Amino acid sequence: MTQNATLEIAINAAVTAGNALLQHYGTGLHPQQKESLRDLVTEVDTLSEQEIINIIREKDPIHGILTEEQGFIGPKTDDYWVVDALDGTINFIHEIPLFCVSIAFIQNKKPIVGAIYNPLSEELYYGATGIGCFKNQISLKRNDCPLSQSLLAQAFSGKAYDPQNRLKEFETFGRLNDLSQGCLRTGSAAMNLAYVADGKLGGCFGKANKFWDIAAGLLFAELAGATISYTLVDTEKHLIDYIAAAPTCYQELKVHLDGLIRSQ
Amino acid sequence: MKKLLIYGAGAIGRGYVPWVFPPDQYELTYVESNPTLRDQLNTQKYFTTYCTKNDQYHTLKVPIAKCFSPGEELPSLSTYDGIITAVGPRHVQALAPNLAKATCPIVLFENDETLTEILQKLSKNPHIYFGIPDVITSNTAPQKLLDKDPLSIVTENGTCFIDDRAKSLGGNNHYVDKKELTKQWLAKLYIHNTPHCIAAYCGSLCHKTYLHEGMQIPQVYDIVKKAMLEMSQMLKIRYHIDTDFIDWYSEKELSRFANVLLYDPISRVAREPFRKLEPDNRLIGAAQLALASGVIPHNIMKGIFAAFLYNKTNDPDFNITYLVNALTPENFLKLIIKLNPHEALFKLLVEAWGPDMTELKRMQIK
Repeated sequence: MTQNATLEIAINAAVTAGNALLQHYGTGLHPQQKESLRDLVTEVDTLSEQEIINIIREKDPIHGILTEEQGFIGPKTDDYWVVDALDGTINFIHEIPLFCVSIAFIQNKKPIVGAIYNPLSEELYYGATGIGCFKNQISLKRNDCPLSQSLLAQAFSGKAYDPQNRLKEFETFGRLNDLSQGCLRTGSAAMNLAYVADGKLGGCFGKANKFWDIAAGLLFAELAGATISYTLVDTEKHLIDYIAAAPTCYQELKVHLDGLIRSQ
Repeated sequence: MKKLLIYGAGAIGRGYVPWVFPPDQYELTYVESNPTLRDQLNTQKYFTTYCTKNDQYHTLKVPIAKCFSPGEELPSLSTYDGIITAVGPRHVQALAPNLAKATCPIVLFENDETLTEILQKLSKNPHIYFGIPDVITSNTAPQKLLDKDPLSIVTENGTCFIDDRAKSLGGNNHYVDKKELTKQWLAKLYIHNTPHCIAAYCGSLCHKTYLHEGMQIPQVYDIVKKAMLEMSQMLKIRYHIDTDFIDWYSEKELSRFANVLLYDPISRVAREPFRKLEPDNRLIGAAQLALASGVIPHNIMKGIFAAFLYNKTNDPDFNITYLVNALTPENFLKLIIKLNPHEALFKLLVEAWGPDMTELKRMQIK
């Protein structure tokens, strides 16, 4: 399968699933708790995920798919798809219009193709290594900026993955909030990274975030000119520490996040 | 001898400007961002522009004073009698700080009337005027001419209309009042620009390199001619422009597109399809105006679909192919073309998508 065909599958699946989410937005859902009070799943997550799986399986039966709700499905391949059918479930439940579908294709353990779609804002981010990163029809190339001129976002894990460092996470959040134009907690790590690629955020970072939340976004941030680094901190649970920011902002963030975010 | 500074040594700047500001009356200085072209111009110190008249080439050897890199011209800006810009609509706004320092008349040959006011505001310089080089100029020349001078360029024998407030510039131009300038601009915008890019997209589908080659294919000629007719009807209904003028203009344009001496590259005309597909631009904007005037733009829509199929990996908008392949017609039109699903053009395009795309793809195969 060519890289172009892979990209077209990602775009198609993200938009199809996003439109399915939209049909259920604000209709009254029945969320179930997973690992913590902030880690919920709804029937819409499952439905959207199945839409994506159907599309990928039909067009690319060769590769396996790592999903949020069903785990790894299909053939056990080294290169595989990674799917978050609804990133920002809590926002979706509370009708806050910041959520998205995030899909990436992983080759040699790195995302090389991806698509992120927020169906409410109609922002479609997509890209691939060697091709570039785009929002809708526009090619993205972000500007450099220092920390002091940046709006930031921090993504916390669904539960305290590393309880001893939880307080440090909050302390860092507050400190960076004062050292920048503000530090947000948006509820969607995928959108944070897309916004870094888009130049809306100067940088974002997260501790023990799920790989499916951030795979596509990390790719876009890098393709658009941000500096990124990340480390797989838990192979079994697919947890990643990462930083993605405008090059100058990144250097400053790295100092402040030393000892908290394990990114290479 | 008057001194003229020209931003952009491309098709219009190099190919056409010397015919309306001839080198025996004007000393021409260029500002060009392409370093290769700039070096060639500074080394050679002249170039040759050919004008097609009566099926023949007329030659003009143009000496140049200097070709600056952008910014180098600033210290000498007050020494010019006039400034022309021909850098393209996407780049001209970046010239605002430079134009702010100029005291002479500045004429924009940028194929976008709205940019004049924008530049006036950005630069706080009221002496910026709109000009319409009513001409097709290639950015290259056939090989036999390039062999004589690698900087050769070919233009048509056009007519240049400029806002009469810039008439101190002189030259072989028609300085006209606002009413005449608007009439000429509307004709250029809809009878020239819209069918011109449709000719390019259809020609590209047929794997042609130059515009005249595409126009030799009967199906392409037919779509272009009918699209022109749709635009002509719109202009008569909406702007009450007289029929004789529109009919004369249309005939003239069809002959131009088919001019076998011009060698107008399709890649130049078809470049950046997303810009031409913007809501107010020459394809979607034109189709909307036709509909608003009660004209169903069947052939402009074919041009729109041909633009969707423009598949050139070296074009800045090469990503259009991924999107057309990946998205349903409804999603493509909504997310990328920014059409509202409730509007007429959206519905017409969705309806025509299947049959028109099939027809165009058949042209592609042939």
